[in-house]
Amino acid sequence: MNPETESTLLNLSYLNRIYRVIIGLLSAGFLWIVWPYISNVVLILVFAFLFTTLLLKSVDGLERRINSRGFSVLIVTVGLLAGIGIFIGSFISELSQQASEFSNRVDTETLTAEFNKLGEKFAAAIPGGLAAGSGDFSAALSGFIQMVVENLAALAGVIGSFVINAAMILIFTIILLAEYHHFKKLLVGFFSNKYFEVGLALIYNIEKSVSSYLRGQFLAAASVAVMSLAGLTLLNFFGANLTLTVFIGIIAGLANLIPLVGPFVGMVPAILIAFMNNIGNDAAMAHQLFGAVPSPFYVLDIVLMFIIVQQIEGNLITPTLVGKSVGIHPMMVMISLIIGGTIMGPLGMLFAVPATGILKVITQEIMFVRRNAHLL
Amino acid sequence: MVLFWLTARGNKMKNALWKNIFQGWNRQESETVLTLKQVPVFKGFTDKEFQDLEKLFHRRTYDAGEFVFKNRAPGEGMYIIMRGAVKITVGTRANDEKILAELSEGNFFGELALFDDEPRSANAIATVQSDLLGFFTADLMTLNDRNPQMGNKILFNLGGLIGERLRQTNQLLFEEKSE
Repeated sequence: MNPETESTLLNLSYLNRIYRVIIGLLSAGFLWIVWPYISNVVLILVFAFLFTTLLLKSVDGLERRINSRGFSVLIVTVGLLAGIGIFIGSFISELSQQASEFSNRVDTETLTAEFNKLGEKFAAAIPGGLAAGSGDFSAALSGFIQMVVENLAALAGVIGSFVINAAMILIFTIILLAEYHHFKKLLVGFFSNKYFEVGLALIYNIEKSVSSYLRGQFLAAASVAVMSLAGLTLLNFFGANLTLTVFIGIIAGLANLIPLVGPFVGMVPAILIAFMNNIGNDAAMAHQLFGAVPSPFYVLDIVLMFIIVQQIEGNLITPTLVGKSVGIHPMMVMISLIIGGTIMGPLGMLFAVPATGILKVITQEIMFVRRNAHLL
Repeated sequence: MVLFWLTARGNKMKNALWKNIFQGWNRQESETVLTLKQVPVFKGFTDKEFQDLEKLFHRRTYDAGEFVFKNRAPGEGMYIIMRGAVKITVGTRANDEKILAELSEGNFFGELALFDDEPRSANAIATVQSDLLGFFTADLMTLNDRNPQMGNKILFNLGGLIGERLRQTNQLLFEEKSE
């Protein structure tokens, strides 16, 4: 090749790169502008995809038995909705029963007196300088309740939007479940002959990575639910007087799906139930953890129990079930959680690890294509 | 007159209804199903199974001279020739191309990639504009999840065919050595 032609080709290659950078920047800018309008739809689609991945094996398995895709989707969806409905229905009914028993048992004066006693106890336990702000505990609590009541309208709006989004997710999940294999085939059809096999492998690997991550997460959540239930039963054995233990266990398990924040969310209902059941009980108020640390209403016992469950889950169960399935370094998991949390809050944290897993698969495939470009 | 019109219209509607109800009865077999029926890999499949299988196949069109895959490229699955022709070669087209086989409609190739992660052992090039049906590892896995009976039939048939080819190769090797 003569030097002039070589130099022209080199210039063209540079121009090509500059052109690609400009196109990339323009696309990013366009996405930045459009994102606020499409973010909700994208979120709904992502959730629908995750639910589809989770339920796909069941639908495929059922289709194998009854030989009808439509009926399989219907049975699995109705079964799931019935399960969720039964859980929420019985939880609300048990909780309202518990609340009515609580209101019959405890009058306002006793409640205020118990709050003040609890507040004093905490104030005494906290070192001098920190205790300054913890004055009237019951006043602070009433202030909080008033704030909640004032924000009820906003709460109704949030619940309404949640219900609409949940309905949309359900509809998209049903459509995706029914047409999953057809959609996948359509997607593969977009690849050119040259990248066809690589594209197929990419889709298959993403599918495998997301599905094993989700299955791992749900197994980890189930193990947290079982361990929490066992822990609460053990605390009851020592007189903690906790009810609704099965529900608390399931909530702790489900909350565990959200990394970092979830474990603390799981503790809240247990502490509330311990407080509701033990108010007015002097023995519970005077309870001490290991006979040394004051733990009114078994609050510290509950916190300790959940910390132990989280440690077992975080150090033994999740690394075995989830870490291996996605194959991401723990430090990368932490970084992705921080980024996900910064961008989208708890939802971002929920999707951070599978999204990183998908990015890892895509990067691996791109590297693979670059390495083997001469063979395609 | 009106009565006649209503009766005629009623008959027309009734016919349309029956036509819709029994629309699957006289369904013509698609070109894909007809091609698959010629392939020994799908020996023993029922018509219903062929219809289910059809949904898994990817139909691709290749121009004359276009590579279906190259030697040493990562392989994901097998191809069946629905229309056209494909040559299997080793070496480069410029210098030392050696044609190992020339395949036509109903023939299949690349099936070893369904079983292992090894790269392709030859080139496959369309000699005329060709329509191919692709069936890949991911599809076989999906089929095994959805209908393991069909998946097993394919694996059994493929095992038999590969065994047959191995026997033929051994025979050739034996003949080569004895000469």
